[in-house]
Amino acid sequence: CKSRFEKLRLSNDVAKKYQEGIRLYNKKDYNKALILFEGLVQKYRGTAEAEDLNYYYAYTLYRLKDYTTARYKFKEFADTYPASKNAEECRYMGAYCYYLDSPKSSLDQENTYKAIDALQLFINLYPKSDRAKQAAQYIANLRDKLETKAFDNAKLYYDLGGYDITNYKSAVVALKNAQIEFPDIKYAEEMNLLIVKAQFMYAKNSYANRQEERFEQAIEYYNEFMEAYPDSKYAKEAKQLKQDSESGIVNAKKQLAENAAMIAKYKALEESDKKKKDTTTNKNLDNKTQK
Amino acid sequence: LKVNGLNLDYFAPREYIIGGTTLSGSKYLDKDVIIVLSKLTKGETIMLPGEATANAIKNLWAQGLFDDIKLNVSKINGDTVYFDIEVVELPRLSGLEFTGISKSQKTDIQEKLGDKVGKTIINDNLYNTTRAVITKFLYEKGYFYTKVDYKTKPDPNQENSMILQVNIDKGKRVKVQKIEFEGNKEFKSAKLRKYLKKTKQRAFYKIFGSGKFNKEKYEEDKLNFIAKLHEKGYRDAALISDSVYRYNDKTVGIKIKMYEGPKYYFGKISWVGNAKYPTDLLNKIFGIEPGEVFSEEKLEKKLRGSANGDDVSSLYLNDGYLTFNVDPVQTRIYGDTVDVEMRIYEGPKYTVNKVSVMGNTITNDRVVLREIRTKPGDYFSKEALIRGVREIGQLGNFDESKTNPVPKPNQDGTVDIVYHVEEKPSDQIELSGGFGGGRVIGTLGLTFNNFSLKNLFKGEAYRPLPKGDGQKLSLRGQTNGKYYQSYSFSFSEPWFGGKKPVSFGVSAFTSLQSNGLAKSNSQYYGIRLNGVSFSLGRKLKWPDNWFSLVHSINLNQYILNNYPGYLFSTGESYNLNITQEIARDSRNHHIFPTGGAYLRFTIQATPPYSLFNNVNYNTASDKQRYKFTEYHKWKFEAQFFETVVGKLVFKGQAQFGFLGSYNSAVGQSAFERFKLGGDGMQGFDFLQGSEIIAMRGYANNAVIPVGANPSIAQSSGSPIFTKYVMELRYPVINSQQATAFLTVFGEAGNTWNKFGDFNPFNVRRSAGIGAKIFLPIFGLLGIDYGHAFDRIPGVQDGGKQSFTFSIAQQLGGFN
Repeated sequence: CKSRFEKLRLSNDVAKKYQEGIRLYNKKDYNKALILFEGLVQKYRGTAEAEDLNYYYAYTLYRLKDYTTARYKFKEFADTYPASKNAEECRYMGAYCYYLDSPKSSLDQENTYKAIDALQLFINLYPKSDRAKQAAQYIANLRDKLETKAFDNAKLYYDLGGYDITNYKSAVVALKNAQIEFPDIKYAEEMNLLIVKAQFMYAKNSYANRQEERFEQAIEYYNEFMEAYPDSKYAKEAKQLKQDSESGIVNAKKQLAENAAMIAKYKALEESDKKKKDTTTNKNLDNKTQK
Repeated sequence: LKVNGLNLDYFAPREYIIGGTTLSGSKYLDKDVIIVLSKLTKGETIMLPGEATANAIKNLWAQGLFDDIKLNVSKINGDTVYFDIEVVELPRLSGLEFTGISKSQKTDIQEKLGDKVGKTIINDNLYNTTRAVITKFLYEKGYFYTKVDYKTKPDPNQENSMILQVNIDKGKRVKVQKIEFEGNKEFKSAKLRKYLKKTKQRAFYKIFGSGKFNKEKYEEDKLNFIAKLHEKGYRDAALISDSVYRYNDKTVGIKIKMYEGPKYYFGKISWVGNAKYPTDLLNKIFGIEPGEVFSEEKLEKKLRGSANGDDVSSLYLNDGYLTFNVDPVQTRIYGDTVDVEMRIYEGPKYTVNKVSVMGNTITNDRVVLREIRTKPGDYFSKEALIRGVREIGQLGNFDESKTNPVPKPNQDGTVDIVYHVEEKPSDQIELSGGFGGGRVIGTLGLTFNNFSLKNLFKGEAYRPLPKGDGQKLSLRGQTNGKYYQSYSFSFSEPWFGGKKPVSFGVSAFTSLQSNGLAKSNSQYYGIRLNGVSFSLGRKLKWPDNWFSLVHSINLNQYILNNYPGYLFSTGESYNLNITQEIARDSRNHHIFPTGGAYLRFTIQATPPYSLFNNVNYNTASDKQRYKFTEYHKWKFEAQFFETVVGKLVFKGQAQFGFLGSYNSAVGQSAFERFKLGGDGMQGFDFLQGSEIIAMRGYANNAVIPVGANPSIAQSSGSPIFTKYVMELRYPVINSQQATAFLTVFGEAGNTWNKFGDFNPFNVRRSAGIGAKIFLPIFGLLGIDYGHAFDRIPGVQDGGKQSFTFSIAQQLGGFN
């Protein structure tokens, strides 16, 4: 025995189906409403009722949290019925669905970029709408997310430095890239300090003959940092890094000098060894010639 | 345009106001909507005759709902005109059904037909296009005599709609009777026929696919055929004409007319534009000497295309020269000799700038980024790029065939690299139930390969489980009620602490086997095994970065209660050991490797209790003797994979294991011995802590030492084993959904009781064939038929067992 709903679903009474769909929607039984609406959309193609039907259809998908399909339907609505009183709302909802579909910052942000575009398009189309303000806020949130992603991924290289020191070098490059991509990134101050830190760690873990140049670079980054943030809360930490870099250079020079002295000493020894050998060979030669 | 009794002069159009439009002939469609669509709106001013009326018909026609549309002027009243649109509605197509073809052909045909359902009406045009598409499609597949019939039936669910039923009679596929060549001098026709890889003459000895004709494949073959001749040095070879003619009702013949031309050789090879590397080095890598047979394919391969990276392009690409290009120009052709000049563009040395991941909808960025070897600030390297792709593949969360790194060079000598990935389902579930011995046996196993422990208590991260950190969690339970219960848990994190590639793993298990009586019952007996283990693993950078090192600590506890037929009946035994494993894994794929090698060396040792526990082992009770197990165990394994030809892969494997004792008075450990033979699956044997080694062709545990007491040796296992495998593997399916391959194998192995008896060449042998399939959700399943050549005396059926079936083995066994 089929339920009343099943009977209706299989029947051909489109008008009744339409009414029931709206009733179910208002009763928040979205799953059933969707089944009816899906079947009706095809049949109402080219009729006057299609406009309202499509509006409800898109909202049903939205209520069911199928944002991917919903945003497509909202956009389709706004494109098909640009003069409708609901066009602005649907344009907005389409963009908002993208916004809801934007994943957390550590995942692929393709939908975030699309959401920004869609929200921006809405603002351009309806600059005076009340919804434009909200859309602008959403864009700000999404940008925030992208900034967090850029910062986290650049910082990752710093975190991985302990296992491979070239990661410190990568951290400097990645942090600088993130700042170029997001000139007013909210983590700017922290990032600038991290650049000094990463460069310092890179220099500290390098071979002595490369240290001077790399510490110099760290000091240069420190100067840039202090210039940009003269009263930074990280000033003390940064200053310490600068001082450590300076003493690092002194140590490196000292070590290089020691190494050079060792090599010189060793060479001298070798030289004198050779001379001893040379004298013997010469003697032999002399003997030979004398003979 | 007809007007009742009035003629409109096309040369003298004039303005009219539309007084109204009516519609006649429609049955199902909404009149108002159609009139709106015609855009002949009441009150508008139009030119008549003019564009508006033409557009009206065009607009309506575009709806695809009518078989005929007429626009009539019903009357003209001064400046006012009244229209009537007369339409012939046709039933709409609401479904297409096919009979007589396979499901995959149906999909292909539907794709070729396009989406007509709901959009088209049923008329002759539809019949004809459908027939043409189907016939052409099947013709290309080798069905030359296809018959197509139609039937329509009304759609019960939709008004004015019909379902089109297409009945197809494919007939028989035509075969190729003979292939003839004309114009070949050096090459024999038989040889040339071999170059047509997919188009073969029929012959009585060809059982599978005996010479069926496939147009698509034949077209491909023709191209490859000429390429093959070029490769052999006949660089002028060309196809003049070819014809496929009807030989009889069932077969066709093929005639190919070709120009062979002379055979060419390499002449002088010179290099231009190389600043970074000297000509001598380039010549050495290029490896083709003047006088060798000229082959463009070989030339290309040596310049850019070799698989193992020993070509000229790789030399540059691994050193940052991303935009490197080499253009081999044939500067002079004299007689049969071709001089080649390699024009090199080195370009700048590129530094990696931005590295990003796209397509990771589940897995967090850092899980992927930390595996990537091209890092910001480094010089670009193709080798590092490929290694990164391999490492991403090893994570097991992405479809390897779709992992695609895209380098995008910038103007300033830097390059941004985007790694495109596509998530694939990586979780495995094992659920089985059965009825045996009057009891229900149930198993539930879950493995999550991309778990996120830190999100375990964050509600919003559940989709449906916390995922994305690349951690692995498995849970497994098996029970048949009171008789047998086993529960295990394991968790591993590949980057412990997130900063170093140090993997951390913890696992624990408990299992109980008993006669099912209450513990208080005097008849009760049972054995319980508890275990816990911790491990730390590290990828090494030295000797090379394929090496890894794993340390682990394991503790097992055995509790026996009146348990019969074991070393002792009541008491406890402990096995505390530390294990060191060093491995080198350069296999290029973890399910179906086609190249690379895997080496593993393991040492496991317990503390030497007998040195300090003051037990006299000669007089001690069993309970005392076995309280603390002591042994040291050495294992070595080597596997290597090599592509033989085409997709055929050779696998060679050697394994060796030795279990030794510290103290002769204590004797060899009863635990941790090796059991050789059979499917390699852990059954109940793990209760003794034995290690199970598969050997096809023989029954489980059947390969015992020569001269050993069969019943004792089979139940206890042996302290020494060695095993060799040679296998040819051919992949039948190699896709994201499944990997399946067929194997032909030869195995040899044996076990020994004493090191003095050990002889690695005195082995039991077997050979056979098998098939394996890997399904992401189930793991590997396999069935093998093996023939054992050597009887094992004293063992049932001589130890032989033809079929072995193995299932869902993630660890050991299969590899």
